[in-house]
Amino acid sequence: MSGDLGHPLRLGLRVTPPDAATALAAARTAERLGYDLLVVAGLLDPWTVLTWVAARTERITVVAEPHDPPVAAVAARAVASLDRLAGGRVELALTGAGSRDALAVVRGLWDEAATGPLVVAGAHHAVRGAERGPAPTQGVPIWVAGDPALAGREADGWWGRVVPAGGLDDVPTATLDGAARAAGRDPREVRRLVVVPASGEDPVEDLARLVLDAGVSTIVLDTPDADQARRFAEESAPALRDRVARRRAAAGTATGPVVTRHRRERRRSGIDYDAVPAGLTVVEPGDPGYGRLRSTYLRGGAPGLVLRPGSAVEAAEALAWAGTQDVPLGIRSGGHGFSGRSTNDGGIVLDLGRLAGIEVLDEGERLVRVGAGARWGEVADALAPLGWAVTSGDSGGVGVGGLATAGGIGWFARSHGLTIDRVRAAEVVLPNGSVVRASATEHPDLFWALRGAGANVGVVTSLDLAAAEVGTIGWGRLVLDASDPAGLLRRWGAAVEAAPRDLTSFLLTGAQRRGEPATAQVFAVVDVEDPDVIVDRLQPLADVAPLLAQDVRLATYPEVVVPGGGPHAGRGEPVSRSSLVDHLDQDVADAAAALLRGGITPFFQIRSVGGAVADVAPEATAYAHRAAGFSVLGIGSSRSRLDPAWDRLHAHARGLYLSFETDPRPERLQDAFPPATLARLRDVKRRYDPAGVLRDNFPVG
Amino acid sequence: MTDYGHDLILGSFLTPTNADPAAVVGLARHAEDVGLDLVTFQDHPYQPAFLDAWTLMSYVAAVTERVRIAANVHNLPLRPPAVLARAAASLDLLSGGRVELGLGAGAFWDAIEAMGGTRLTPGQAVAALEEGIDVIRGLWDTTARDRLVTGGDHHHLDGAKRGPAPAHDMAIWVGALKPRMLRLVGRKADGWLPSLGYLGSLDALAAGNAVIDEAAVGAGRRPEDVRRLLNVGGRFGPPSDRFLQGSPAQWAEQLAAVTIEHGVSTYILASDDPTEIELFATEVGPALRDLVAAGRG
Repeated sequence: MSGDLGHPLRLGLRVTPPDAATALAAARTAERLGYDLLVVAGLLDPWTVLTWVAARTERITVVAEPHDPPVAAVAARAVASLDRLAGGRVELALTGAGSRDALAVVRGLWDEAATGPLVVAGAHHAVRGAERGPAPTQGVPIWVAGDPALAGREADGWWGRVVPAGGLDDVPTATLDGAARAAGRDPREVRRLVVVPASGEDPVEDLARLVLDAGVSTIVLDTPDADQARRFAEESAPALRDRVARRRAAAGTATGPVVTRHRRERRRSGIDYDAVPAGLTVVEPGDPGYGRLRSTYLRGGAPGLVLRPGSAVEAAEALAWAGTQDVPLGIRSGGHGFSGRSTNDGGIVLDLGRLAGIEVLDEGERLVRVGAGARWGEVADALAPLGWAVTSGDSGGVGVGGLATAGGIGWFARSHGLTIDRVRAAEVVLPNGSVVRASATEHPDLFWALRGAGANVGVVTSLDLAAAEVGTIGWGRLVLDASDPAGLLRRWGAAVEAAPRDLTSFLLTGAQRRGEPATAQVFAVVDVEDPDVIVDRLQPLADVAPLLAQDVRLATYPEVVVPGGGPHAGRGEPVSRSSLVDHLDQDVADAAAALLRGGITPFFQIRSVGGAVADVAPEATAYAHRAAGFSVLGIGSSRSRLDPAWDRLHAHARGLYLSFETDPRPERLQDAFPPATLARLRDVKRRYDPAGVLRDNFPVG
Repeated sequence: MTDYGHDLILGSFLTPTNADPAAVVGLARHAEDVGLDLVTFQDHPYQPAFLDAWTLMSYVAAVTERVRIAANVHNLPLRPPAVLARAAASLDLLSGGRVELGLGAGAFWDAIEAMGGTRLTPGQAVAALEEGIDVIRGLWDTTARDRLVTGGDHHHLDGAKRGPAPAHDMAIWVGALKPRMLRLVGRKADGWLPSLGYLGSLDALAAGNAVIDEAAVGAGRRPEDVRRLLNVGGRFGPPSDRFLQGSPAQWAEQLAAVTIEHGVSTYILASDDPTEIELFATEVGPALRDLVAAGRG
């Protein structure tokens, strides 16, 4: 395709620093002058120099002169590493006889979605079963110099060297376009970069022709002379940009993004990709960064599209559009959920991770507004300096939205109640595309449903939460002998129920290792500062079974809910069951002991509820099981083994906590919501989500 | 008693996990801030969960001011020595002489081969490392006027242009455990860098030192030409009779004894815990230096 390919115009500077001082000075100068790209060549190792430069600059992109890397697989890892360290800003240019092999190796290693290790049996670069990953997070263009046919077929761009005057003939447009088309690509997928020598002549006319007639979009000035680099940036560059912009406007040149072959081939059926609302941030399976978004904490996923709204209005647009697509729809805040399918296979994920603001609304009322995509550890960190905290769950990596619309059984449950009990208002996106505010006085029915069954009625984008004053607290971890599990559970349960409300305790045990003594860990938070009171509160817990080890100290809330960061890499499907029981009586304890003895659940956790949780009337929120004293969670590896054993325990339960339940049998819905709650919830659902768009997390409709 | 009299260097051995690169870089800066002399990273290019060691070292060098940086240790089968020599010299020039070169012969041959490296027998790997050291030292030697001809079956240069030379007399520390490698250390290296975990016991230090010393003397060098470094791990806590499982004061006493007894002068702590790194720098370090100074009289 002769003519303008419509890519954004970028200007670069090629430097060959003879020494360290020159290298950094050249980079800083280039950045200050507004160059987009720095090409590093020369005697000093280019990769080392450009890494150094990337670390000490803010904006400029770096690329080493085209080369044939000594070990292509190591080069792939190096480039991906710099991409992560510097937040993108790196490109790769290949040349030489090995460039085809190197391109295959690098692309293959970056393809985290491909199954199985990488094999490339090239004559110049061979890999024999290398593990794939990591992929660059920002998408690193790969240029090929010296082989336009390869560039057209496979690369992101062609790299050449021309003299501006008469350079048109040196850009192999026919070869590039032909090779691209033969490979099923749009010729616009292949960008064109030229390195041009500096000359005394005004180059604007010639360079504009390269852009407008030969499809070049990156022009790299090759000069060791800082004065020439400055003149080009200050005089030629604005004139060139202006001329290109005007010509493009006049000709109506298409300048939008190109749907690449790579992207197109990875799209899933059932999603109308071309109809995604304009301006919305989306991540497709063929996009960089997809690997970090596809899965959740507990589930492996392969969604066909991830929508990442940056505002409530965008979230509303996204939800309204997603509702028109006949594929699974997952709503994700932090991605820790058991019950909610916040990822899927071939569906859409509405990821609220960008809506993560934390702002104080009213100091006197301790009212804070928190984005649904924030993590609870971040909230704890932000509020601790004020001497505040909002009770959440037991992990700082959990997202705000999912937990604060389901319940929230955390370290201050008995003293402050559930997380939903701290919610004063919410900004909610409805399936019809509107954004409403829900509170005791605005959409009160919606506000009722949001607290316990939020996933059924809307997508919360932010919450107004009433924080509590929390300073130094007591934190204890006791390791107890669990050789009599039923007795241990009964005595621990009784001790917790007898304790004042300032104590909240969780017990963790599981299948025991053969040959090792059975143990359980008891964790407790005591919401007081006085060490003597803390010890008084913990002593009864330490007395319920022989104490094997202990760690008791003063702590802050952020130390207890440590922020968990990083992308999720869950695999498979979690198998978990939940029961809410009133007391750990003989029946419950015996059933739990049988479960533990069977070795069915490697992770068995009981959280104390009661206290302030039970102060709220059952009909006040969609979380109705206020009378339950304990939330019991078991994670197993096999549903067919866990369910029968758990059903025997569950026979003694009042209900379940939906956030921890993965059993698909329909009766679980009745366990989550007692009849009166379910009836009201169905009525609210009919009004706010009549089409049943929200159907992937305990749907009541 | 073999104390080679080197000044003490305390370092950190950080896991280069790529899931949160800012955290690794932050720990390296923390190590500098709390006063450690050295930051090191393992180099396993076949491990997709790790950052590329060379790229990370270059980045860390750019965002630190004082601390020295080394790999612990480079995987030579996947780091061609001629390239590594130029890269190391370049970073040494950029960083004002803060780079040292840790080298290893390679161990995980399935993974090395999978990445495109050549599988070698243990004997070949030692020979390749020795040729690699010759290549690196030859390329750094810009005082020689001739083009470089060196190496053998594994790494061969036939008329290579020399340079750049590093900014300082860069040390080559070799990770070694077995006699053939230890003899190479004695002949050619500036330092021996084993991990205590792999050595198994402090007694193995004495045995290794003996092999190195003999090889050094045999090659016309002095035993003190080879610094003795050691990767260590442990826990700070209540006093106990176990090695590096106790108070910082106890750590200092135990390490001082190793210095006086076995001549180890560089301790590199394998830990990603900022508190442990700080205790090592601020409490173990000064006490250890005092004890060693007193012990050396």
